Amino acid sequence: MQFLADGLVAGATIGLGAVGVTLTYSILRFANFAHGEFISWGCYLALVIAGAIGAWSSASVAALGALSIGANVLAAGLLAMALTGLLAIGLDAVLFRRLRRHGGSITAVIASFGAALALRAALEAIFSSRPVYLSQELQIAMRIGGLRITPDQLALLGVAALLVGSLQLLLTRSNAGRSMRAVSENPALARIVGIDVAAVIRLTWFIGGALACASGVMLGLVVQIRPTMGAELLLPLFAAAILGGIGSVPGALLGGLIVGVAEAATVQVIGAEWRAAVAFLILIAVLLLRPSGLFGRAA
Amino acid sequence: MSEPALGLRIRNLQAGYERGSPIVRGVSIDAKRGEIVAILGPNGAGKSTLVKAIAGTVPIDSGEVSLDEEDFTARPAHRMVSGGLALVPQTDNVFTMLSVDDNLRIAAHGLSTAQRRARFTAVFDLFPDLARQRGLAAGRLSGGQRQMLAVARALIVVPKALLLDEPSAGLSPKVVAELFAKLLEIRATGVCIVLVEQNVRAALTIADRLYVLVEGRNRLEGPSRDLLADPEIAALYLGGARRAAGETRA
Repeated sequence: MQFLADGLVAGATIGLGAVGVTLTYSILRFANFAHGEFISWGCYLALVIAGAIGAWSSASVAALGALSIGANVLAAGLLAMALTGLLAIGLDAVLFRRLRRHGGSITAVIASFGAALALRAALEAIFSSRPVYLSQELQIAMRIGGLRITPDQLALLGVAALLVGSLQLLLTRSNAGRSMRAVSENPALARIVGIDVAAVIRLTWFIGGALACASGVMLGLVVQIRPTMGAELLLPLFAAAILGGIGSVPGALLGGLIVGVAEAATVQVIGAEWRAAVAFLILIAVLLLRPSGLFGRAA
Repeated sequence: MSEPALGLRIRNLQAGYERGSPIVRGVSIDAKRGEIVAILGPNGAGKSTLVKAIAGTVPIDSGEVSLDEEDFTARPAHRMVSGGLALVPQTDNVFTMLSVDDNLRIAAHGLSTAQRRARFTAVFDLFPDLARQRGLAAGRLSGGQRQMLAVARALIVVPKALLLDEPSAGLSPKVVAELFAKLLEIRATGVCIVLVEQNVRAALTIADRLYVLVEGRNRLEGPSRDLLADPEIAALYLGGARRAAGETRA
């Protein structure tokens, strides 16, 4: 059953990324294939900022309790989330906003492929393809109900739950969240009732980018950091978002956890070479059997 | 010195979905505070396009829109409501996935908590049916209740002008009568109401003045009673409305 613990940790990472995909899709009506690059950019930004904070204050590098990371990584993660959110807004301003005026959603989808290539190439140009690490500390796993899990992994699950819970509260209890749901359902009516749709779109990009960064930092704590790390997660992200139901934030997290556990189970039971196929099979199965996903509304 | 002309004032408005292809061609209307003005006309006359252009959702090529002497011509659609001009569209006029309460809260986002509570109380007093269904998704309301919710939402910010695009469409005569009775109550508070209607008979029961549009232009205007008194006009532009209105007024 060890695959359960490994799968939940990987699934939380996928789920956070999928939340951004589902928000962007439900409000802007296009599948953003550049979303994986926000994950990579977020992780690299956190890496650079953590290094800068560590150089400024060596005390910040000291590990926090049982975790393998210091306060510098936590602070860098928060700052990088804000910066990745701004990067997403910037990409919309220079590319997608212009396309919304003239083209349909297919134009935006194709443009997002181009944006993904450009963002990835920029990362490779700046940092090269050589793998780097947020932490190289060895951790001793704890035993919880027969499963082995490290303190970092446990913290990652907690952070993912906290972020998704906070976002769900924002969407259901705040004016900003109600406005996002209104724009998602009927942007023309939203304008008529006084909602600044452009501001809602900016907020959506910001939240999507920030969560992608959180996903990237979490991923960077358990695997090597490389410019392609986000692109490799793209298929599981879309599988999770569609499995959870487009537009559903808890659905995206649950979809991520299911995809993560399914991948981990496949690695353990069948073999690692089949791991990438699992997300694809889930995606196809959902599209054929239940296109609205677990929590999505029927078309 | 002349008194300020309070209410909605439209002058030579030219508007359409594509620049250079106007549907509304130089329309002028006035709607004073505390007055219901009905815009009538055949299909394709530009009635709905006119109210959408006034509310900022259809581009205006030329002309002027002002409310209480404030220029609204170039105002973005999302800032119309805060300026006191609210539109109730004909279809898709509630957020079906949101609760009744959330539909109203969306319109109340600029208000303080105390103001919001006061406005909710006032709106629920006017539409007690909605008060009983606050937690229900708007998509589960009946057609009449949805129309009431759409009007209630427009009233949350105390508009100076309320534009309604065919509010009677698809509703039973009983529900239309109930809705129009509410409009009379709203008029009594000093709101000017512009009512686009295909249902001439229903519109004539409450309108103070009429404008008849044909092919995007003003064709006739005046107090409902005067226009109805002319048998030729009533027959040409108002269908069988004259007899019906006469019955109503009797």
